[in-house]
Amino acid sequence: MKTAAGVFLGGAASRLLPASIPFRFFGAAVAFHLLAWLALLAGADRFPRFSAGLGWPLAALHLVTLGVLVMTAIGASLQLLPVATRQPVRSTRWPAAIWWLYTPGVAAVAFGMGSGLPLLLGVGGVAVALALLAYAVLLATNLRGARGMPGVVAHGWAALGSLLVVLATALALAGAYLGTPLLGRATALALHIAFAAYGFMGLLALGLSIILVPMFALSAAPDERQAIASCALAVTALALAALAAFGVAPQPLRVIAIAIGGGAVALHLRLMLDALRTGMRRELGRSFTLVRIAWAALVASLAGALAVVLEAPLAGLPTLFGLTLIGGWLLTFLLGILQRILPFLASMHAARGSKRPPTPSSLSADRPLAIHFFCHLAALAGLALAVVADSPLIAALAAGVGALGAAAFGGFFLILLRRMRARAPAPQPCTTPAA
Amino acid sequence: MTADATQRRWRDADGEHIDVRGLPPPQPLVAILRLVREQGDVGGAAVIVHFDRDPQLLHSELAEIGWVAERIDAEPGEVRLRLERVP
Repeated sequence: MKTAAGVFLGGAASRLLPASIPFRFFGAAVAFHLLAWLALLAGADRFPRFSAGLGWPLAALHLVTLGVLVMTAIGASLQLLPVATRQPVRSTRWPAAIWWLYTPGVAAVAFGMGSGLPLLLGVGGVAVALALLAYAVLLATNLRGARGMPGVVAHGWAALGSLLVVLATALALAGAYLGTPLLGRATALALHIAFAAYGFMGLLALGLSIILVPMFALSAAPDERQAIASCALAVTALALAALAAFGVAPQPLRVIAIAIGGGAVALHLRLMLDALRTGMRRELGRSFTLVRIAWAALVASLAGALAVVLEAPLAGLPTLFGLTLIGGWLLTFLLGILQRILPFLASMHAARGSKRPPTPSSLSADRPLAIHFFCHLAALAGLALAVVADSPLIAALAAGVGALGAAAFGGFFLILLRRMRARAPAPQPCTTPAA
Repeated sequence: MTADATQRRWRDADGEHIDVRGLPPPQPLVAILRLVREQGDVGGAAVIVHFDRDPQLLHSELAEIGWVAERIDAEPGEVRLRLERVP
């Protein structure tokens, strides 16, 4: 009889990346999170009426989207999809190379946007695009060989298709700043926003939720047919939004797209709420309070999108819509999930070679997360108030509070890393096959 | 063998068995933890789990509730674990 848990997880390790791979993505996301709030602080005077254009608000937006959301999505999907699709990890070199290309690329994009340096923005954009193309290949390879979890796989393919649209439109927008427009700016911008937020990041969030929410709640897996139906509705909504972006009956098609997108969200949330209601674990703590708030923000973002399409007479409406969509839905959801999953991942990695792993709760740190929780929500509320009141001062205060919350989240991450390393066994030769 | 995890349970001399092979995630985790909780409630014996693949999160979940897993001999292509409460 083999008695060590190391043997137990030795099998698990075939689908478990070395800790340094996912944690470098999560660590970069934590750092960019803080930088995003600081960039917003630097651009607070323009934030209340921000809609587009180079400057620190645009840099803050992309530090959140590229630096936090996509960075985390890459780390999480590289770690979770082999589990969901029952495949081994094929390569550790490619994920590491992607990180080395992507991270400085995001920094260059953000600094180029903030400082108004189109050349730096262009160079960073190319690095980001190449890194994301490499990620797309890894994702496609995994999805192509997937066994089971068709709902997750469908969301993965839809997110992948959206990523290609996002990359093409991002290069078109960056080209416009460099004086070589490849696509009409309004068309590129409309496609970019819809396919980045609701497409690539949104569909990845919804798809990974199908694994994560039942896993945390300890409930049955959601009905696959309904998960696929939700995905199909979302893809239909995106296709209609794309047609509208190219000038085909823009307002009616966008209204229909929002209605169909609402159907996709309603179906998804019903599956998620069923999982929470029927799960063995009822007390999911602060992290799932954030997740529930994020779901409410997702619904509110669709109402905001409708108001934008119908040109509702409210000053700052596009900014409020963007805040609800990116800050309220995607960022809040991700931070809620991240603070839940990181201790589990840390426990799994710390368990390698040991008979009994540390408990996830013993690796976490509650006080920094409590500070982050209140700061994050106060900052988002403050930013909404700043838009309504057209007040750069309130925006600056809110960004400061957000930065404090991000620093607290960073404290949680550092404590977790320190505890994981303290409990981890001595390093062993890596046997994971390279690409 | 049926597709219902609740019908893949049996008692043997070495403990309560559960076969979760073929179930999509997170069903194996949920079924095992439900059985572990039942066993804990009645002060039951060890739980023997039959997997067809690597259990990813089970180890950490078990640690949270004071249980531990050890790998035992199994047929080729199967991963078999013995779960028991930490003394």
